[in-house]
Amino acid sequence: MKTKMITLCVNGKDHRFEAPVNRTLLQALRDDLRLTETKYGCGTGECGGCTVLVDGKDSICSCLTLAVEAEGRHITTVGGMTRNGELHPIQVAFIEEGAIQCGYCTPGMIMKTASILANNPTPSEEEIRTGLEGNICRCTGYEKIVQAVQRASQMLDTSQNQKTGGLGT
Amino acid sequence: MSSRILPQFALLTPQSISEAVDMLAQYQGQVSVLAGGTDLLVWNYIRKVKPTYVLRLSALDDLDYMNYIPGEGLRIGARAKVAQLLEQPEVAGKFPALYESALTFATPQIRNMATVMGNVLRASPAGDCSCAILALGGQVVLQGPDGQRLVDIDDFWISYGVTARKNDELAVELRIPEPTSITRSAFYRLTRVHEDLAKLNVAVRFEMCQNGCRSARISMGCVGPTPLRLKQTEKLLEGVPVTDELLQQVAAAARKEIAPIADQRSTEEYRRQVSGVILTRVIERAAGTHRIAI
Ligand SMILES: Cc1cc2nc3c(=O)[nH]c(=O)nc-3n(C[C@H](O)[C@H](O)[C@H](O)COP(=O)(O)OP(=O)(O)OC[C@H]3O[C@@H](n4cnc5c(N)ncnc54)[C@H](O)[C@@H]3O)c2cc1C
Repeated sequence: MKTKMITLCVNGKDHRFEAPVNRTLLQALRDDLRLTETKYGCGTGECGGCTVLVDGKDSICSCLTLAVEAEGRHITTVGGMTRNGELHPIQVAFIEEGAIQCGYCTPGMIMKTASILANNPTPSEEEIRTGLEGNICRCTGYEKIVQAVQRASQMLDTSQNQKTGGLGT
Repeated sequence: MSSRILPQFALLTPQSISEAVDMLAQYQGQVSVLAGGTDLLVWNYIRKVKPTYVLRLSALDDLDYMNYIPGEGLRIGARAKVAQLLEQPEVAGKFPALYESALTFATPQIRNMATVMGNVLRASPAGDCSCAILALGGQVVLQGPDGQRLVDIDDFWISYGVTARKNDELAVELRIPEPTSITRSAFYRLTRVHEDLAKLNVAVRFEMCQNGCRSARISMGCVGPTPLRLKQTEKLLEGVPVTDELLQQVAAAARKEIAPIADQRSTEEYRRQVSGVILTRVIERAAGTHRIAI
């Protein structure tokens, strides 16, 4: 088995571990680091359950990324969104809008929302809907998810004005 | 385990293009190049390819570029992502077909990962950027042990999944020529949802003058083993005004020139039927005000 020492920076913390080179980022997160909040859905980049944030901005599918390819980047999972035990405004918005049914797609949805808002703090409804493409919710709760993104955008806008908030890296 | 385990391989991480070429030459035929991985790392695909070595481009930051050079055109480095096509203002302005292919390409996550070069090298008949590039014209720059060579995009795809690239060559750059002031282009793809591959895609490029088109390039995907140029159909467009009657002839000619198959995304009959419809719409869009309504 070809293994390699891998250093991953996840949610602001460096993790060093040995893993086979064919390990995907998703497997490394879930099985090596036991950060199971990032979900395995389709394994082929279509459902968005495995979405994580790279360098605080871009969403990627961790199921189609080799763990070694994530070395040197800052990876954020939904577990890294809370600050000092307080939920991130995006998480609060999802709860307040009831944008969750079974919850399986939620970690990916939250990370996608973080990416949408990092690139465009005040997206229109249409921009939100296009931005959410690639994250599938099988409980068909898109309406509330869109409302949650809108609410998060407003909350972050306000908290940004008060010089707090910001996205976890 | 929380997902399917990829087959085993050894990892090669060249620090320069020349080291990459040396490695490709040393392990000829046993290496798969890894760009964004959105084709290669799909379990079903890599299980078939089963590379002994995976050569990753992660240290070759100098291939990240997407540069527009006035008078020459667009230069796309092998690591440039599909998402970059949407960020570069000249792409939307001067290469609309390529821009439109990126707009409808997959999902934000996949666009952030997938490279334009990977799309061309995958040699799939459904490749969206590939379809646009075939219509726009261009070249693939391949670097091998004896230096660089340029292959015209018209000669690049040999058959399904097979390209003109030799085993010891790394594809380093795509070149798309500068449009003239009368160049028009457009792309459209027919698909169920964005994360699905196309049922059919079409791109056109022509030089438009007052009384019609001076020269035309039409490419269509998912209607043959590789993206196809419809050369017979193109001829009908040249030198005559774009009228409804002409568009009907063009649609009929396209239906004859393609060789679609039936698969999980569409039947052969359906593809043949819609090919003409989609093509005429794309031509109308590209022709814009030069379209003559009778
Ligand atoms: C969910 C999903 C949706 C998709 N949707 C679309 C879509 O809408 N439209 C579309 O066209 N495609 C789509 N694809 C397919 C894929 O994303 C594209 O073909 C993409 O452009 C491939 O680029 P990559 O960088 O990920 O390539 P990789 O997977 O890294 O490589 C693809 C192939 O090219 C070879 N290669 C790559 N770079 C080089 C190089 N520099 N030199 C030599 N060989 C090289 C690799 O060895 C491999 O065989 C989708 C894929 C997924 C998973």
